[in-house]
Amino acid sequence: MTRDASKKMLKIYFELNGEPMYVEIKPGEMLLDLLRRLGMKSVKEGCRTGECGACTVLLDGKPVRSCLTFAAKIKGHRVTTLEGLGSPANPHPLQEAFLETGAVQCGFCTPGMILVAYDLLSRNPDPTPEEVREAITGNLCRCTGYVKIVEAVLLAAKRRREGVWR
Amino acid sequence: MGIKRFHYARDVEEALSLLAAYEGRGALLAGGVDLARGLAPEVEGLIDVTTAGLAGISADGGGLRVGATTTLEAIRRSQEAQGYLGGFLAKVMGHVATLPLRNMATLGGAVVSAHPWADIPTALVALGAEAVWQNEELTEKASVEELYRRPFRAIFRRALLTEVRFPAWDGAFAFEKVARNAGDIALINCACGLGLDGEGKIAWARVAIGATPHRAKRLTAVEDFLTDEAPSEELWAEAAHKMKTEVEVGDDMRASAEWRRSAAAAIVRRALDRAAKGVTGDA
Repeated sequence: MTRDASKKMLKIYFELNGEPMYVEIKPGEMLLDLLRRLGMKSVKEGCRTGECGACTVLLDGKPVRSCLTFAAKIKGHRVTTLEGLGSPANPHPLQEAFLETGAVQCGFCTPGMILVAYDLLSRNPDPTPEEVREAITGNLCRCTGYVKIVEAVLLAAKRRREGVWR
Repeated sequence: MGIKRFHYARDVEEALSLLAAYEGRGALLAGGVDLARGLAPEVEGLIDVTTAGLAGISADGGGLRVGATTTLEAIRRSQEAQGYLGGFLAKVMGHVATLPLRNMATLGGAVVSAHPWADIPTALVALGAEAVWQNEELTEKASVEELYRRPFRAIFRRALLTEVRFPAWDGAFAFEKVARNAGDIALINCACGLGLDGEGKIAWARVAIGATPHRAKRLTAVEDFLTDEAPSEELWAEAAHKMKTEVEVGDDMRASAEWRRSAAAAIVRRALDRAAKGVTGDA
């Protein structure tokens, strides 16, 4: 094997919010930095140690910390950020539920919260409040005290069961 | 970070050959949870081993085999793990960190990182789990307990952990942990197992304690104390008292040695009771 002193850029293919992407990355780049570089500003930098959950994204449908995921690892995989769920013009039912219940204050934790809630509801369409609390254990909110967030997820779950979902 | 190259290892041999070629400046990457937080400055090459075909869980008689790159959440949800010892190992995984981290972290990573405060080494030591690893010359195996007595950090600078094997046990295990919140690391943890003989006496006992704040160890004096005795609330209380005198504890920023001594006794008592109820089907 030969190695030169320069960093070798990698070209990787992956799927971002349903769209095929072909990007050049640095070999040590983190997924958080790549996604923000690609304009996915819902992905927040909080602690960079995997503790706070603000950078959570879905990798092949499962929540992971983008701050601890090397971007090279997503080669050939599917990444979903909040931008892939909804937009201000066309919000996702979870986003609507968060707004209606007052579950958003500063909003920094909201994208991660919504993505773990999305994962929970895809596995468990009728969660108990305890199961919602367990699902958001790894996502820290410093504003709301979590009560409204749990309400929002339960409201979205109810609507999902009534067929309001995508 | 000074990462210059990223490699996707196609198999164990390629991973080991790349690791050797970097002469100490390469690192094996699995879930990345530890590596991304504490990458050594001299590391220039990352070798992804999650592409090497090591993930998977299979029942092995009454035991279990888990490939090193299997994620903690995959173990937690697997039918095979839920069928092993009444789901003991699967339940332990649920105590570790939070879901997004469990979707990343691997069993092999937990064994190799061997954080003194971690929950998985405590369970693996109690279970007598066996680690299998490979270097460029040979494949080796040892119990996780024995591995931690060896210079394992030096071993894994040139070797790849490939599998963890869990033996069959005729009995039940229980895990207990005290932490400040659900996603936090342990202030103290323990795993206890018990099996009964035909007369209802304890045929074997396994007691491991971790986050003392030292790495998980078995308390063989407590195990010996329990063996051949009849299970009872009083016996658990006496075992807890023995635990207090035998356990090596220390201070750190999270808890004092004296608090740990009391907490160790309390959680061992609780775990023994739960394990005994598991054996008799009262759990």
